[in-house]
Amino acid sequence: MQELTDIVQIKHEVLKLTAEHAFAGTLFDQSEQIPYEMIPGIKPRFRCCVYREREIVRQRVRMAMGKLPIDVMYTDKDSTQVVHVIPCACEGCPISKITVTPNCQSCLAKKCVKACPFGAITSTPSGAVIDQSKCRKCGKCVAACPYNAIVEIERPCRRSCPVKAISMDENDIATIDPDKCVNCGACVTGCPFGAISDVSMMVNVIEALRDEGKEVVAMIAPAIEGQFGTDTLPQIKQAIRRVGFDDVYEVALGADMVAYSEAGELLERKEAGEKMTSSCCPAFVNMVRKHFPDLMKYVSTTVSPMVAVERYIRSQKPNVVTVFIGPCIAKKNEVMAGYVDEIDYALTFEELYAMMCARNVFDTDGEVQEDGDEDATRYGKGFALSGGVTGAVKRVLEERGETADIQALKCNGADECRKAMMLLKAGRLPEDFVEGMFCVGGCMGGPATLNELQRSKKVFEGRLGGADSVVRNVEDKKLDQADIHRHN
Amino acid sequence: MDLMVCVGSSCHLQNSREIINRFKELIASHELEDRVTLKGSFCMGHCADEGVCVKYDEQVYGVTVNNIDEFFETQVAGRLE
Repeated sequence: MQELTDIVQIKHEVLKLTAEHAFAGTLFDQSEQIPYEMIPGIKPRFRCCVYREREIVRQRVRMAMGKLPIDVMYTDKDSTQVVHVIPCACEGCPISKITVTPNCQSCLAKKCVKACPFGAITSTPSGAVIDQSKCRKCGKCVAACPYNAIVEIERPCRRSCPVKAISMDENDIATIDPDKCVNCGACVTGCPFGAISDVSMMVNVIEALRDEGKEVVAMIAPAIEGQFGTDTLPQIKQAIRRVGFDDVYEVALGADMVAYSEAGELLERKEAGEKMTSSCCPAFVNMVRKHFPDLMKYVSTTVSPMVAVERYIRSQKPNVVTVFIGPCIAKKNEVMAGYVDEIDYALTFEELYAMMCARNVFDTDGEVQEDGDEDATRYGKGFALSGGVTGAVKRVLEERGETADIQALKCNGADECRKAMMLLKAGRLPEDFVEGMFCVGGCMGGPATLNELQRSKKVFEGRLGGADSVVRNVEDKKLDQADIHRHN
Repeated sequence: MDLMVCVGSSCHLQNSREIINRFKELIASHELEDRVTLKGSFCMGHCADEGVCVKYDEQVYGVTVNNIDEFFETQVAGRLE
């Protein structure tokens, strides 16, 4: 979910200029000029000085080129890490967690002083004062104040992180612990200074597009419908071809394959008295792997729709370059850490949009777009929204005439995912199937979307078409013959 | 053990994709699928070195199409035996 804030605008501008240079073949010689193209003159727009602004842009250009911000210190730990702090952009927000606001009336009751178990609050004529060295951040004073004058605030990056992977270094600059980070991207949209961003593979993709000898195909996530205003799927596909891709496949077709496979898997597990979780959301799978490793055995062994559709494409065209395009930052990590020998690259909608602008694909000279085919069923497309995986799996069971009573839990967002995993770990989860979607709303609420969730959802749901039999779609296209299980 | 191949833009230009494909073949021909996991990596900051950056067992190497077979024999397969 992103409004067109200055942060999104700056990120877009950097990606667009980087893409323009990459398409023109001038990027490697001229990347150092991009900060000056973007910010000429000497007057800063947002920060203390223009030099800092340009330095931030320079680091962003590095990330757009697949490099890490130059002062990231933990590159030796896990170089599949996608999300990084840009240290020069971090303001080191000087926020102590519990703060007295000017609402304090210096009252006689002094409930805050009495409520504090650590003796950290003293009352002065100008209001209550918290001794931060004694404060243990228990929150009792916040609850006690009759004026709501004491507030609990946390740095937005830390608050946004669902797995507590962000801490502060000795200079109060945010740092991400890659052993904990699931690359969901919540902090990327959570930081009000835009000081956290995702590394890109966009330049690699552009280089592949520029290579005449290479056939490059785009695999577009179902969440793409609704991202470009009211453009239809065939119109979006055409715009992607105009960027230079040779062909465009719907990942929703892979979602049909996944629903078909997971339905069978679920029945087997149910018979054996076991639970199962979905496996399509990479941030959810990362959370299970890093924070609940004992529960990995419950994650469906069916690959994600992205991998499923890639294997289908690869079975027909072994030598193509495959590029996933989605609303998701964690997908880049999934490609790098799990499937680098299968899928070539992953892009976000932000990066695709930047490439579209760089190639000026919207200027169509009034060319009329004929209606094209749509590959997937409405159920496969539904994977883009919370509840969609459950809906598709249940649809397959229904089409097969299965009568087993399957109870499903839809986890909409990281908090619900974590709660479900804690219940599962404790052996107290009543449901048979857990649909884990780490972003609230599902993929359409992802961190690299172009349109606000409520707006894109409306377009998406209004348009939801396509065939309605998952089983027939999968069996007619012979998709059930591919191996779609993970082996590691 | 993770065998990490950089796909940052500098290594990409030195054909890291070909390196990944060759590693995949080498892992298969040595039947090391269970012991060596091929992973991608963003820039490791050794762009100036010769060849594509490859990290294995905490060390960074520069690998080219010419030395990849020898590298795999000595540093990966050789050390696992």
